[in-house]
Amino acid sequence: MGYSGRTVDGMTTNENTAATEQNTEYLHEHTPRLDWHQLAPDVFKAMVRLDAAARKGVDPVILELVKIRASQINHCALCLDMHSKDALAAGESVERIIQLSAWEESRHFYTAREIAAIELTEAITVLTDGFVPDEVYERAAALFKEEELTQLIAAITVINAWNRFGVATRQAPGHYTAGDHK
Amino acid sequence: MSARTTHLDKGFATALSALSAAAKKGLGDPALAELVMMRGSQINACAFCLDMHVDIAVRNGETAKRIALLNAWAEAGDLYSERERAALALTEAVTVLTDGFVPDATYEAAAKHFDEAGLAHLIGVITVINSWNRVMVSRRTEPGGYAP
Repeated sequence: MGYSGRTVDGMTTNENTAATEQNTEYLHEHTPRLDWHQLAPDVFKAMVRLDAAARKGVDPVILELVKIRASQINHCALCLDMHSKDALAAGESVERIIQLSAWEESRHFYTAREIAAIELTEAITVLTDGFVPDEVYERAAALFKEEELTQLIAAITVINAWNRFGVATRQAPGHYTAGDHK
Repeated sequence: MSARTTHLDKGFATALSALSAAAKKGLGDPALAELVMMRGSQINACAFCLDMHVDIAVRNGETAKRIALLNAWAEAGDLYSERERAALALTEAVTVLTDGFVPDATYEAAAKHFDEAGLAHLIGVITVINSWNRVMVSRRTEPGGYAP
């Protein structure tokens, strides 16, 4: 199966683009390495429950920004496909999604809480560069109540977990429809 | 070091424990699971997790030499089996995603030593320790709090 045009919510968004794409040859889509959902259904079910537990009490707008940013850093194509579509369907702007990987230079697109959450996401995602800096933790702790903060940490942890399954088993992006995994 | 929160939602902690149990059970190799858990925790510098998993490994009969040399497993000759080495290489690749994907050679070497279900659960165990590492490091949980 190959790429079938730029879609949002399953609808082609630009007819002119669709017309030129008739003559465009995209590269072949890769096959996933492993169908881990089928091979480890117990683990998949536990992941779904973990995800549900982590999202409780987390602002849904912040949650999608966190999921997109972590998936960018971890290069998880499947997760980017899923969470950009879910964010757009929930009313997030294209501009804020695109600017997310350069948020340090586009802070005025986001609230202070969103920026604190994104900074914390980066620190917890890139643990190999050394711990979670005090200033990053303290900025988040100043803007989120303790229970909110620990749920935010939980949510960052869980998207990192999905990223690991997605990348390790090389899941192919492009087949997700917004809302499928809500 | 300044203190951080000790709070963690009970529902989340229970769900993460259940995920751990499912992944380890499916792998069906407790000694290997502990090697993977220790190596992931070394890379992510999780003191709490290292303390805990070294303790469990020792109780399970793991040798001091294999624990001490784990950080240099690739240069440690036959101290670790080919199967363990393949699992440790996969652990490193899946833990450090920020450097770019999981190389085909690493994945294929692991696929030679594990059947597909074993490999799926091994990836599960690697993901689980990465999750605990994140929860513990971000809240700066002090080592030594683990009691078997």
